[in-house]
Amino acid sequence: MTALLALIRKEFVSLFGSPTAYLTLTMVALVSALIFFDHLKLYNQILFVYSTPTMGGFSSDAIPDHINLWDRVFFPVMETLGLTLIGAVPLITMRVFAEERARGTDELIVSTSLTPTSIVAGKFAVTYLFVTLMMLVSFVYPATAIERGGIGLQHLAATFAGLTLHGIAIASIGLACSAFASSQLVAAVSGWAVAFVLWDFSWMYPFVSEGVAKFLDGISLHPRYGSFAEGIVSLEHLVYFAGLALVALAVSRFAFDLRRVGA
Amino acid sequence: MSEAGSGGGAAPPDTAGRGVAVEARELTRRFGPHVALDALSLSIRPGETFGLLGANGAGKTTFIRLVTGFLLPSEGSVSVDGISPVSRPAAVHARLGFVMETSRLYPELRVVGFLRFMAGARRLSGRTRDAAVARVIERFHLESVKERLIGNLSKGYQQRVSLAQAFLHDPPLVIVDEPTGGLDPVQQGEVQDVLRELRGERTVLLCTHDLEEARKLTSRVAVLNAGRLVAEGPTQELLGRDDALSLFRTPTEQTP
Repeated sequence: MTALLALIRKEFVSLFGSPTAYLTLTMVALVSALIFFDHLKLYNQILFVYSTPTMGGFSSDAIPDHINLWDRVFFPVMETLGLTLIGAVPLITMRVFAEERARGTDELIVSTSLTPTSIVAGKFAVTYLFVTLMMLVSFVYPATAIERGGIGLQHLAATFAGLTLHGIAIASIGLACSAFASSQLVAAVSGWAVAFVLWDFSWMYPFVSEGVAKFLDGISLHPRYGSFAEGIVSLEHLVYFAGLALVALAVSRFAFDLRRVGA
Repeated sequence: MSEAGSGGGAAPPDTAGRGVAVEARELTRRFGPHVALDALSLSIRPGETFGLLGANGAGKTTFIRLVTGFLLPSEGSVSVDGISPVSRPAAVHARLGFVMETSRLYPELRVVGFLRFMAGARRLSGRTRDAAVARVIERFHLESVKERLIGNLSKGYQQRVSLAQAFLHDPPLVIVDEPTGGLDPVQQGEVQDVLRELRGERTVLLCTHDLEEARKLTSRVAVLNAGRLVAEGPTQELLGRDDALSLFRTPTEQTP
């Protein structure tokens, strides 16, 4: 445990010792603010149109049901935020293993009391904590929309959990890609590619059999993320995210064994 | 496949001050069709400063990686203090300190932070850790730079930091890979002075392609050429030969 704690402390110092962490946090905060205010502006314009005398003035009866804060602001913001995270998270994960490998410091830390499993676990833990921090930064505006929409704390918690689990899922994919790469660029690009492919398979359904479509739906990120945004926390979806993280951990651990045999 | 770092016996051994033996028996390592190390048999005695010499690509680094357990042998065996790094890597890691080539450090960490991390990674904590860090800072004359970022240090100081981390847990075996590569003559002298102080104190395995460095620091050497052991013996005897340089030439480079 002493060795693992030392690694976790070192990972935090390394992460916040580089500008990438601050740039990514700033980028996520700015982009989430832009996305939110863009949708809010559009929503206000629609409300303004419906509130003009020819459209029925300020009578709430004149505003159709589908023009509401939930459908016009919150959902589109969460959807765009989910895609934004696919772009941002691999920028953090790309360096985690690839940088150690490129520097040759992986050889140094493996010669200590740190086992490959504890190295992988420590690096995953720190990355997950950072992603949670990133989610807190990006969730400020959607949280405002939920609060203003009168949706309630439970829904707010479910949505934040969904956003965080989505970020952690992308981080897991990015870390597994980083474990096999010596180049940070290769790690980032492969992380983006795998996450984008896993994001949504629905466009493929017309071209494949029902069984294959069901399987693809089962491994897609989007349906799980979307259900959390609707306030639904199901065990099936939690198992999906936990399974994805465990597979990524095992794959990253396997990268160490692969190096030992020299493959 | 065994877990590198597992296998028990990770408690610091009580062999410091005497050194431990390193034994290789018919040690072979292949990378696809390429044989990096070919049936190497070698004995390094406890407490001696042993030089492993060879040109670039001769197999020195592969041998080190097999001793530390970073790589698995294709055939044969290697042991440190009678313990295999394949089956009990943690026990081997507790007995060795590893100094890599210059710049294989964390440039974003401060010297003292890096040493604390490495001490923690060696399972030293609390006062024991702080005492170990203070001891190596004093021994390797790092007091004036301990709060500086490693990336801002000269190569000579970076190599001192690299040496310092290897001594945190007072290991009976220190493996030093190309310690003066890329250093200027003054820095080379400083690092060699530090290594000279270690003679007789513990087992030192020094990998280098610098013959002068081997003459100054080692008592016995082995020469690798294209993965094979081509000579082994007392340093002065072996490197004093008129044809010493020919030991390093690959067959295609040999003059007719």
